[in-house]
Amino acid sequence: MTETLMTISNVSKSFGEVEALREISLEINSGEVVGLVGSNGAGKTTLLRLMSGVYKPTSGSVCLDDGTPVDKMRQRLGVVPESTGLYSRLTAWENIRYHSRMHGIDDDDSWNRTSRFAKHLDMLENLGRHTKGFSRGMKQKTALLRALAHGPSVLLLDEPTAGLDITSARTVRALVKQLRDEGGTIVYSTHHLAEAEQVCDRIIIIHNGDIQADGSPAELLEDTNSKNLEEAYVSLTQEKARPRNDDLESEGKFTRWWRRLFTPRTPKTILGDDSSE
Amino acid sequence: MSNGSFNRVKSIAKKEVIEFTRDWRTIIAIIVIPILMFPLLFIMFPLLLESEAAELNSIVVDVVIQSEETPDVLIEEFNTSTMNILEENLSNVSPLSEPGDDLERLRSLSVDAILRVEQRDDVWYYAILHISTSESSNEARSRIIEGLIVWENNETQRIISEQGLDVNSTLNPVRWDGDVSQGDVATEGEQAGMVLSLFIPLVLAVWTFSSAIQPSIDMTAGERERGTLEALLSLPCTRNELLLGKWLGVATITGVGVILQIFGLLFAIGYLATSSIIGIPDLSLEAILLIVISIMLFAVMVVALELALAMRSHSVKEAGSILGPAIILIIFPALFTQVINLDGVENFWFAVPVVNVLLALRELLMDRVIVEHIAIWFGTSLLYALMAAYYAAKQFGREDIVTSLS
Repeated sequence: MTETLMTISNVSKSFGEVEALREISLEINSGEVVGLVGSNGAGKTTLLRLMSGVYKPTSGSVCLDDGTPVDKMRQRLGVVPESTGLYSRLTAWENIRYHSRMHGIDDDDSWNRTSRFAKHLDMLENLGRHTKGFSRGMKQKTALLRALAHGPSVLLLDEPTAGLDITSARTVRALVKQLRDEGGTIVYSTHHLAEAEQVCDRIIIIHNGDIQADGSPAELLEDTNSKNLEEAYVSLTQEKARPRNDDLESEGKFTRWWRRLFTPRTPKTILGDDSSE
Repeated sequence: MSNGSFNRVKSIAKKEVIEFTRDWRTIIAIIVIPILMFPLLFIMFPLLLESEAAELNSIVVDVVIQSEETPDVLIEEFNTSTMNILEENLSNVSPLSEPGDDLERLRSLSVDAILRVEQRDDVWYYAILHISTSESSNEARSRIIEGLIVWENNETQRIISEQGLDVNSTLNPVRWDGDVSQGDVATEGEQAGMVLSLFIPLVLAVWTFSSAIQPSIDMTAGERERGTLEALLSLPCTRNELLLGKWLGVATITGVGVILQIFGLLFAIGYLATSSIIGIPDLSLEAILLIVISIMLFAVMVVALELALAMRSHSVKEAGSILGPAIILIIFPALFTQVINLDGVENFWFAVPVVNVLLALRELLMDRVIVEHIAIWFGTSLLYALMAAYYAAKQFGREDIVTSLS
């Protein structure tokens, strides 16, 4: 019997007037790799931030198996944000150690776990190097090691293979599979269906802030009567994708008004006849 | 604060300091510049001025004296190796200060200065023509004036003697008796404190504010822009622990800068003291302790406010354009504080933000420990520091601080 590690109940999240997520409910079970699939601006990152406790739901709750809200029990989570979030003037090991210490983990324990996974990722030799000169792949691997160093119950990965070369992406996927085989629980955000199909036991398709489908790849194909996942995805997300709302989250009203004041209008000849929309 | 909380705050602060010191530009800005600033200002600058003055003294200037009959005494005064004198007849100009045909000679620097002298009845009239934008012309004018002063003194004494009067008693009918410095009952240390109180508070305030700008931005808007903030916010630390850790980091970096600057200042004062230009201020232990407390309260307020404003900003650029001009909030009250008369100063000044700490520093540097004033500035400074910390906590508690513009 699978054990539920995280429960998301009726969660909505709004940024001003924009509703990023609407009444989302789902459970993350122990030992499964859950893929969050959706286009840019679908709400994947917002959902992951709610799961990591960085955002608080506008309504609803995100709790761990013991009923504790995630923001009170972050030591059980390992997070790899899209940007990796490494300090360039620290070495890879210093980055990892810093996070481990924040989790209250002893340096020796952290090193033992890190070195074990670093061997798999071919990163052991690079742990003493400053991350400033790292490639995108090396940064991603270091961020993964950092998220694993304290032995989290749930690993949250936001587009972990974005921008990686083929070899690095394969290595990351192989590590995720290895963690799954060892019984790890992973939430994996991506907009590549093929990748989700390879790595995930369960795929959740998010579109414009709603969950459109939730099931194993086989179940998704069966439910949508599709031949492949791409076809299934298209049939589930026919509505036009909304734009990303980063701008709305980060810019004040006055700043936006001021910026627009000094922005010349694009001539209608460039926009075409549809410019009146 | 629990043990775990303390360890997290310590880890954040330690990481911030380590990361900051690994940037050589920061080391120059925070350590080298503060150490060198005052010694350069107080030792090198006067030495430079001295050498420039010596250089000016040695230059040879071309001076034209226009007169019908130049007094011999004057010619003797000007007869030095560093002045080329050319005597000319005085053309018909009135008044003597009217450049007339000599305008071009001066503007083209073919002569450095022209002295016109004319005797009318018993009085000598004169004018010096020069061009003030030329160093050598200014130097020529200074030397002419020196010679004229000697000649005028000689003339004055001669005329007084001719009238049968005693020169000394006629020229100095009112005199100081004794040593002038004995009349000031303030000790050398007190005088030094008075002088230092005019600029040390200003320097401390401006340096504390300005040196905290860069780390504050780097640790807040910088973290967000580099994408490191999200990973940090997903760690098991509260926003207040994060704020406290970062505050400690900025305060440590700023504190090191201020301490080094004070060392540089004390070294420069020590050097000047050997030249008898300024003494070492007399400060009681309680005054020193109160100075430290006032600076610490000021630092709490300033660093918390800067962290809050930087965290509120959407980017490093925006944070820079807010915190850079915000230094006016320190400079203006700091300059204003310098002109407030400390004798009989009204109590309310010790409650005005920024002014209160600066006035406190001024008083304490003069070793004036006034309980009433201390109570007011301590209470209000504590209040402002708490308000700034509360505002910073509010900014750090905002959910949208995670949003990266990168």
